[in-house]
Amino acid sequence: MDTVLALDHFSKIYPNGRGARNITFSVERGQVVGLLGPNGSGKTTIMKSLTGLAQPTEGTVTLFGVTVSDRERALAKVGALIEQPALYENLTALDHLYMAARYYPDVDQARIEKVLQIVGLTPYGRERCGKFSLGMKQRMGLALALLSQPELMILDEPTNGLDIEATVEVREIILRLAKEKGVTFLVASHLASEIEKMCDKVLVLYEGEMLSFETKEEALRLHPSLEDYFLAKVRDKKGSVVL
Amino acid sequence: MERFAANLRNELFKLRKRKKYLVFLILGGLICVASALRVLVVTYFTDGMISRQAILGGLMSSNLPFILLLFLPLMAIMATGDLFVGEQADHTVRFSLMRPVSKGKLFFSKGAAVLVLCAFDLAVLYLVSTLAQVVLGGGTEGILTSLGACLLDLIPLTVLILFFSLINQMLKGSGLTVLLCMVVYIALLLMGTYLPAVGGLVFTGYLRWHNLWIGITLPFLSLLPRIGLLAGYGLVFACCGYFLFERKEA
Repeated sequence: MDTVLALDHFSKIYPNGRGARNITFSVERGQVVGLLGPNGSGKTTIMKSLTGLAQPTEGTVTLFGVTVSDRERALAKVGALIEQPALYENLTALDHLYMAARYYPDVDQARIEKVLQIVGLTPYGRERCGKFSLGMKQRMGLALALLSQPELMILDEPTNGLDIEATVEVREIILRLAKEKGVTFLVASHLASEIEKMCDKVLVLYEGEMLSFETKEEALRLHPSLEDYFLAKVRDKKGSVVL
Repeated sequence: MERFAANLRNELFKLRKRKKYLVFLILGGLICVASALRVLVVTYFTDGMISRQAILGGLMSSNLPFILLLFLPLMAIMATGDLFVGEQADHTVRFSLMRPVSKGKLFFSKGAAVLVLCAFDLAVLYLVSTLAQVVLGGGTEGILTSLGACLLDLIPLTVLILFFSLINQMLKGSGLTVLLCMVVYIALLLMGTYLPAVGGLVFTGYLRWHNLWIGITLPFLSLLPRIGLLAGYGLVFACCGYFLFERKEA
């Protein structure tokens, strides 16, 4: 199998003591891997480090065999949506896509229109993003992540702010791209049900520590749902029930 | 280089979409024309009719201190604030940081965008002043000299932009950074004016760089220390600014 991303003894500790500690895992091409953990468990820290937004305190982070500090090579085939999308309030949706397209030689006008259509923002292309609702901003973030037809997509809470219909659409997009185009996904969520519906493998994080990294089948062999699996893992490690 | 150019175009696009730069440019142009009219009116009422050519000849040269010491530094402060600390504060810097472009190219393309903005403004103000001079009857005297002066003055302006870019890496608040840039810039200007002993050592003393090259005939060798000093300031500001930008997290 072809390793798309790998973290080796990765730690990122912020001055307040939070972050992620001693994380080691790798993701193979075409897999949909879910990062499951409560708020503050280190999901976003890992994703920020994968996209070069944060620098590891220890360990290494590689994308497509290239260390992430070599940004031009490492991020060339990566699409990412971290926390809330970074949008300029005074620019339109199309402005954002045109700006992003300049970094990727293969992206043309047709592709820009296509991603707008995929996320359902075609009628709003010429509207300023400052007027967008939270859900529309999230769709815009997805459009920007999809624009370059990446081989790896790093999505932090991708359905945050979306209604039920849009949540299902995003899930279908992820599953379709993984199945038809072999796109690799790393998806973070604090909702076990969401991870269960779309991921092949699940990585459980709790208070910055990695508790497990197993396939969904392994996780569900002894537990009726990922939620129960998560609670059992936390209970095993901490010796107490998480409410 | 393609990604540097791509980011430069994006930074210029963002600046172009902010109306305040256009408003300030129009105000700057109006001030340049108004200064010409003021001189004409005052001279008319005090001395009666005299040669317009004598008064308005080299209008751009007389406007240069306002443009070089006040207008362009103000634009540079605002633009560096918008592109560096402003984007860090509202997290929009992630838009570029999540793309396949090195942080070095990001830092220097942002600085280059500010320089292009200032050069564009300088060109517009040169045209406005030159047109005002010609239209108001001042003839074409000094037009080429002013053009040369403008081109030469882009050199210290580059150093000034690198200086503001460095200050932008030191603080997190957008408003505070702009204020600090203004205070430090004014302090350096005043120091250069009132402490002649150190004036020659401070880079803001060279903002009117053309004074060293146009109108006087200093031997080139005597200018070398000044060129070295300005280049040294530029290198230090660029290196320190990039060092801090590279380590910043979004």
